Amino acid sequence: MMHYVIIGGSIAGISAAKEIRRVEAGAKITVVSKEKTKPYYRPMIPFLIEKDEIDITFVDDPAKEFGIKNIFDKVACIDVSLKEVRFPSGTKLGYDKLLIATGSGPIIPDIPGLVGDDVFPLRTMQNALEIKSAAKGKGSAVVMGGGFVGTKAAIALKHLGLKVTIIEKMEQMLPQRVDRRGSGIISDAMKAAGIEIIVNDSISEIIRDSGAVKSVRLSSGGSREADMVIIAVGAKPNVEVFKDSGIKFNNGILITEFLQTNMPDIYAAGDVVEYVDLVTGLPAVSALWTNAEEMGRFAGNNMTGGNIKYSGFLSVMNATDIFNIPVISAGVIEPEGKGYEIFVRDNIDSYRKLVFKGESLVGAVFIGDVPNAGIYANLIKNRIPLGSLKEKAIKGVLVYIDFVKNAPVQTLMS
Amino acid sequence: MGCRSCEIECAVEHSKEKTLFSAVLQSPPPMKRLFVESTDDIRMPIICRHCEDAPCLRACISGCLYLDENRFVRRKKERCIGCWTCMMACPFGVITRDKEKHIAVKCDRCHKLDVPACVNACPTGALVLADIDDMTKEKRQRLILAEAKGGA
Repeated sequence: MMHYVIIGGSIAGISAAKEIRRVEAGAKITVVSKEKTKPYYRPMIPFLIEKDEIDITFVDDPAKEFGIKNIFDKVACIDVSLKEVRFPSGTKLGYDKLLIATGSGPIIPDIPGLVGDDVFPLRTMQNALEIKSAAKGKGSAVVMGGGFVGTKAAIALKHLGLKVTIIEKMEQMLPQRVDRRGSGIISDAMKAAGIEIIVNDSISEIIRDSGAVKSVRLSSGGSREADMVIIAVGAKPNVEVFKDSGIKFNNGILITEFLQTNMPDIYAAGDVVEYVDLVTGLPAVSALWTNAEEMGRFAGNNMTGGNIKYSGFLSVMNATDIFNIPVISAGVIEPEGKGYEIFVRDNIDSYRKLVFKGESLVGAVFIGDVPNAGIYANLIKNRIPLGSLKEKAIKGVLVYIDFVKNAPVQTLMS
Repeated sequence: MGCRSCEIECAVEHSKEKTLFSAVLQSPPPMKRLFVESTDDIRMPIICRHCEDAPCLRACISGCLYLDENRFVRRKKERCIGCWTCMMACPFGVITRDKEKHIAVKCDRCHKLDVPACVNACPTGALVLADIDDMTKEKRQRLILAEAKGGA
């Protein structure tokens, strides 16, 4: 009987396990996870900070649902020649096929005063619960980083009544996630809710008094009072334990279109890999839940002998809601270089931007109103040339039946 | 023909008292879950496909969407956080936003009814409820060809 071992118990690992089980009813599947919990919806962790009664764990336990054996431990290293996973205690676990789905971890910048109490990353359920408990009785928080994690952490802490300041190094909030105009709309909403936003700046030192965080000093020279600091400056693939394994990685683990690494019978999926962005064609690390789910499924299938090609992901494929403003963005949102056409519709309560390259839609931003956003996102992801429908897309009246009507009869017959 | 009877009946079925009169007066008004779309020459209701491998369900980050015992893609409403990831994932554009309740809204295939409200309401037979085993590929292809000829 084949033994499938998956390192990493979050969505890439679980969706791979699920796919393996779907194809091979009798397979032995072991998931190794360093987080000792039932799998949970990682994008939901900011809600844990502000809400008391919220369950973010999977409704059904995949271990029971799909007959998975769990090992809750860290991996020390893997031996690719003996096909073994080793644990810190010295225990070994043999595999026939291995999936690396170790995800990504927080980037922790080297700042004086950072190490110690009152400073937290936000990547795990545990982090969120620690932030929640630390926030009790505290008056102010500084969030370092204005990406989605920083934004969500700031909103949660604001809801708890803290005075919140976000410090973003780039010139806008949510850099690379929404365009400048979109970022402006979102920043305005956050400022209106009482969150201070400082851009083009960073923390140069965290000032402590008897161990407790008191304030942060800014690179620009100013300072902000702070009883706690959240570090949200991005994530990096968790590749450390594979350093001496012979598995090739750059920023993330390098994979083929079948999600195989350079080592036999070892696959990788999710945030830990570096692969091609579908619209830019450049190597990228995704760090997105939906992409990890998809990669896990493809990897799982190929591990069981399937032969399905993974064409790549969109590094920007985000949906969220910020103070009741829906936000969806996908693909190239702030194009640089020639050959792009940009169409913007900027109304009082909604903003829409479409980016074309020739006949293809390559990027979209929807803020305030998001109907049919999925049609546009799928056009970008599947790189479908629009032809005569481009005008309808620009007018914002593109609907699903446009494709039914224009599809060749052969396509509909399949 | 684009009479939108299906849309009306859908909204009524998903209203509090399930009658047209009370639905019209309900505030905020009940929401329809299918959409009659039109181009210059054709009109067609677009309905949730309850995809076997549903992109919305796979994308859901809160554990709200699930496949029920009849293989309908449904919501555990209390788990929806209004993140709109499902709207981004659905290629048919049939998931909408309930602005009042701040949750996503989609077709539940009227799971309590044998025949969904939209089908019941359709006066022309454009919407029918058919079992996939009876609606064979050959039959579907015949219908498409007939439609293609008619349109040309």
